[in-house]
Amino acid sequence: MEEFHWQRILEFIKATVPFDGLGQDELRQLVSQMEVAYFPRGQVIISRGGPASSFLYFIQSGSAKVTLPDPAAEGGEILVDVRGEGDAFGALSMLQGGPAIFSVTAREDLICYLLPEAAFRELAARHPDIERYYRSSLARNLQAMRDSAQCQLPHMAGLEGVSLGAALVRSRVRELMSAPPVVCLPATPLRAAARIMTQRRVGSMVVAEEGARPIGVLSDTDFRVKVMLNAKSLDEPVVEYMTSPIHTIAPDAYAFEALLEMSRHGVHHLVVTDHERVVGVLSDRDLQALTGGSPVGVVRAIDQVTSVDELVRLHPSIDRVLEMLLRMGGAAREMLALVTEFNDRVTLKLLELTEQEMEDQGRGRPPLPYCWMALGSEGRREQTLRSDQDNALIFTNAPAQREMRIKDWFLAFAGRVVEGLVRCGFPRCEGGVMAVNPQWCQSEAAWHKTFLAWVLKPSPQTLRLGSIFFDFRAIYSEADFLENLALHLKEAIETNRLFLRYLAANALYNRPSLGFLRQFVVEKGGQHANQLNLKLSGLTPIVDGARVMALDLGIAATNTLERLEQIAAQGIIKTGLAEDLMEAFSFITLLRISLHLEARAAGEVPDNFLDPERLNNFQRKMLKEGFHVITDLQTLLEQRYQTRLLM
Amino acid sequence: MSLVKARLRNLIARQRFARRGLHPFAQANLHALEGLDPERPAADFRYVALDLETTGLDPQQDRVVSVGAVRVVQGRVRLGEVFSELVNPGRDIPAEAVKVHGITPDKIASAPHGALVFEDFLGFLGRDILVAHYARFDLHFINRVMNQRYGFPLQNLVIDTVLMCQALVLPSDPYGIGRHQQACRLESLAGRFGLPQPERHTALGDALTTAMIFQRMLARLAEKGGGRLKDLLRVAMLK
Repeated sequence: MEEFHWQRILEFIKATVPFDGLGQDELRQLVSQMEVAYFPRGQVIISRGGPASSFLYFIQSGSAKVTLPDPAAEGGEILVDVRGEGDAFGALSMLQGGPAIFSVTAREDLICYLLPEAAFRELAARHPDIERYYRSSLARNLQAMRDSAQCQLPHMAGLEGVSLGAALVRSRVRELMSAPPVVCLPATPLRAAARIMTQRRVGSMVVAEEGARPIGVLSDTDFRVKVMLNAKSLDEPVVEYMTSPIHTIAPDAYAFEALLEMSRHGVHHLVVTDHERVVGVLSDRDLQALTGGSPVGVVRAIDQVTSVDELVRLHPSIDRVLEMLLRMGGAAREMLALVTEFNDRVTLKLLELTEQEMEDQGRGRPPLPYCWMALGSEGRREQTLRSDQDNALIFTNAPAQREMRIKDWFLAFAGRVVEGLVRCGFPRCEGGVMAVNPQWCQSEAAWHKTFLAWVLKPSPQTLRLGSIFFDFRAIYSEADFLENLALHLKEAIETNRLFLRYLAANALYNRPSLGFLRQFVVEKGGQHANQLNLKLSGLTPIVDGARVMALDLGIAATNTLERLEQIAAQGIIKTGLAEDLMEAFSFITLLRISLHLEARAAGEVPDNFLDPERLNNFQRKMLKEGFHVITDLQTLLEQRYQTRLLM
Repeated sequence: MSLVKARLRNLIARQRFARRGLHPFAQANLHALEGLDPERPAADFRYVALDLETTGLDPQQDRVVSVGAVRVVQGRVRLGEVFSELVNPGRDIPAEAVKVHGITPDKIASAPHGALVFEDFLGFLGRDILVAHYARFDLHFINRVMNQRYGFPLQNLVIDTVLMCQALVLPSDPYGIGRHQQACRLESLAGRFGLPQPERHTALGDALTTAMIFQRMLARLAEKGGGRLKDLLRVAMLK
């Protein structure tokens, strides 16, 4: 067969779904009907409400955004989707006819191959599967539109492991709840309530005052546990036996948020309220339909264990549930919050059990109030699956003569907790940053001294420790230790601002691998087995940069996304840059989570190395953009803290 | 050169050369400037982006070995309206040239001679505006045949994409295009604009690259508020 003169374009089209099934001849015919168009960044290609598209657009390079006007804000828009290299748009508009539903705008300079409408229709007539493919993407788009307000990232990220735009982030509480809710008054007798529940076949009912303000929930479990055991007569009012207080959620909240809320409070039911009026009930069973398991069940199980051994035995099912939830996909922030929630619960339970164990073995209760601190990524609420322990302990200042004995108690206590954490799957910190280390198990006054010393005399060692310790967060605290500690740290930094400059210089140590990606883009064939360290070249620079500025501004939050939000609110970095950084951070985090999940699925030990070959064009582009934004942040740090002068 | 001057020359050419027996394509070429309204948007006109592969870079000595062209309508490149022909130069092809375009003597042994291919191309071009990168080079070869066969040069308007780039990219880009001649090479510009790799180094592949650079410059011209034909001609019309 004679060589086709647009063979490369043909290969490109052939690589896009659903055209991958077409034969060479048909593809040649298609390409010969195509046109090449260029749209400068910002140009509106399809205008919502305007005439239907008369082409199917294949993006050769660049990206386009699909948007809707935001009803809430004049001139604002809701991002429905972003299409990148190898994606197509315009098909729907053509198939639907009539005014276009979405606007499509060039997000950056865009080169497209255009298939004219007549050619597309002819093709669709010959291949019903192609038409079906684009018709079903209408459903996807409408779905995306409903979600778009808050969840713009999930359906863009992820390797194969994480399904894009999963049910939990896609679904709203409104779609899952039982409505209308079965409601009774506080004075309703138990007998009547039971009859209603049986008749209506519900497992719970909302107890609400007149005017629909909910005050409690009466569930099957309440009947089994409380009523059966304690009720003298079934004529007693439900108000005596209902579960109260209730936890509520808005109908527009995402299923994921509902799950978090249930996990946090260990409850099975949430009352869905709209302006304080009950509109429905959401139970963990409604969510199970989405998750295929019960995260809430696991949370309850953690709460109910009575020995460390039991907790250790629970570890595989915690892992399973977490992994399942992460596989469902979701926004980075929520996924990290969820992992933290589970890990915190395990730690809390372990503290409780260990205190009990110490007491049972005659070593007594904690001699003084204390605080168990999470540091590093755990302190920032940024753990992905299981990471190394980073913890420390603070106890109330003690009289000098008793201090040794007290410290001994806490060291023994910390030793057991750390050991328990290891058994629950949290490896020891190789750098020894654990409360079992006498250096990191101190009285409040000693901690203040330690932090002050670090700030006054910065050295490579103290800067490294600072980057772990200054992300502290209380997992369990019996007094306001950390508020005081934060205050001291702030004062210390104000007396020696040079420290910030050193910390900033340190934050510039890890640079994003821009050259690496550039090279990669060129070497498309690529035999280079180069790997990219997502953590060091992507996340660490953002985390470190946010920390410097947060400490500078006296921002107490330790979570990187929260820090960035607050830094932007104070006007130190532009809102646009902060948003870009947050997007980059979230995207790289999602990549990292999917990388870890894949490694685990393959039975390997998760690491942070990514082979960029495995990214699709769009992911690669996002990563590249992310790295550019990080470079902007680092330039800003360089200028603000004059780091070059330190060298 | 202005459109007015081109029209004047065209008028003279018409009076001198319009005669019976002139090849229909050549006859048509004498009317290439009709219907060009300089006030209309440049994107409304039809263009043909051309690239020639030759036996070398000496316009006096060297000959064309392949012609590639693609049409641009409404600012979009039509992949189905292409002209791609090998030409028998009637002489040896130097080894260096073979290295550039990969056209070996045996490939073109059976190819038609320049004049025939050229006539076909004239038919393909019609009244469209010709676009080329370093257009003077390509135009030279075309006019040599035109003058030989019909006695007058090509009447179509000719746009040089190098001039467009120099005028539209240079001012906002002091270190790039224009500063170094190298930066204006087709491959450099293609790399700079992130254009897809052409289909090897063929006349047609380079014609597509030229068309895509033209397309981009046309958009840039419109962005700067001067998207009319006369704005394009002011910037990039070949004298």
